[in-house]
Parts: sequence; C-alpha cells; structure tokens
Amino acid sequence: DVQFEDESTRKKKYSRDFLLTFSEQCKDLPEGFEMGADPDIITSVHAGMFRGDRDIL
Amino acid sequence: DSSESKKGGLASMLPHPLEHSWTFWYDNASGKSKQIAWGSSIRLIHTFNTVEDFWSLYNNIHHPSKLVNGADLYCFKHKIEPKWEDPVCANGGKWTITMTSRGKSDTIWLYTLLAMIGEQFDYGDEICGAVVNVRSRQEKVSIWTKNAFNEAAQISIGKQWKELVDYKEQIGFITHDDSMKLDKGAKIKYAV
Repeated sequence: DVQFEDESTRKKKYSRDFLLTFSEQCKDLPEGFEMGADPDIITSVHAGMFRGDRDIL
Repeated sequence: DSSESKKGGLASMLPHPLEHSWTFWYDNASGKSKQIAWGSSIRLIHTFNTVEDFWSLYNNIHHPSKLVNGADLYCFKHKIEPKWEDPVCANGGKWTITMTSRGKSDTIWLYTLLAMIGEQFDYGDEICGAVVNVRSRQEKVSIWTKNAFNEAAQISIGKQWKELVDYKEQIGFITHDDSMKLDKGAKIKYAV
C-alpha cells in the first residue's frame, strides 16, 4: 500500500512495509556525513574511525 | 508497456524523497556537571531528506537498547530544535510510551520514525518530532506536537501512534508548559 504521492494531500507517503524494504540496501553512512555528534552514538566500526580523526586533530 | 517499465526501472534507482527534511540529535547529560544547563549538551548528528539517507543513518547509529543510560536520541523536523523553548514547540506537548525495563524500545522507536517520515499521521503537520530517553530502569519514547490545545489533533495522533507501533496500553499526553512548571507532577491532559 505504497502511496508515493497522496492524491488528496499531495504528500509523499510511504508505508512501513515499503520503507523497510530499503533497510538492507543502505549500510554506509550518508554522503556528506560529518562527525558533529558525540562518537558514542555511532556504531563501533565508524566510531573508531571518527575517534581516530579526532585524536589526530 | 516497455516505456512504462523503463520509467519504473529508472524511478526505482532514484532516491525516494521525503515530505520533510528530518534531523537526528543526540544528548547524553550523564557524567556532565549539573551546572550545565539542560539542553546545552545536545548535538546535531545529521539531517536527511530521502528514504535512503534515513536508513544510512539509522543503520549506523546505536539503537536505544545499545545507548548508555542518560542518553536522549531525537529525530525532529529540520529547523525545529528539540527544546521546549523552540517557538514551534513552546505551546505543544508530548505523547509518551514508557517501558519499565531496558532494551524494550527498539521496535517502537523504529516504527515511530517510519510512521513520521512516511507521513502516516492524518495530523502529521502537528508533529515536531520524536525522542527516546534511555534511563537505568526505563526507556521512554515520546512524540512532540505543536499545539497542545488542538484536542482533535492530539487525540488523533495518540490513537494513530498506538496503532502504528502496535501498542495496546493506555498512553498520556502532557503539555510542555506543565512539564516545565510541575516536572514529574505534571498532569495528563489527554489519554487514549
């Protein structure tokens, strides 16, 4: 029951099931991501990378 | 026909735009001086506006069950700060689902995010965003709304939220004004 653009509201609507189909396709951090947040929030592989960056700086 | 299938094929490769841009924020007040004003340690993680970028972020940040005690993770519409003082939030309030043990909120948090970014709420324009608060003995997921006195909108959001996350227990809505003045003594304004 995907409604890419709802005809009455003109909104871009997506059902939960449709959104879930993209979960496995998007594993890398998004393009343009910058570590402005506390590294504690990032999962271990990336946190190590960012902690390293921070130590260098 | 072939042109339609070609169009569909191309469309499936393009990013899927969301109705709104959304921003993840993170706060961990634990271990910091009590002299630091509430909210001053909050940090922006990233803003996204496509389905693909949502998952790219979600798959690389800890889920509530893996966050440290004291952590708050927010997902709010872009340009709305997750603070009571934000002009869009100031007259609002929040619906809250409380789980009285750790590690139980991951699914509710994910389904809440998917419902918001997928525009599944009839009164979606009334929503500011959502937050999960992780504490030693409980986890709370809340949806913040803009106008606490628009009763029809609040009731609709509360009822739909329960359906969207498959939650059966009663939930309550508290205004930010009451939360500020009365803290834990704040009274429930609406319940569904």
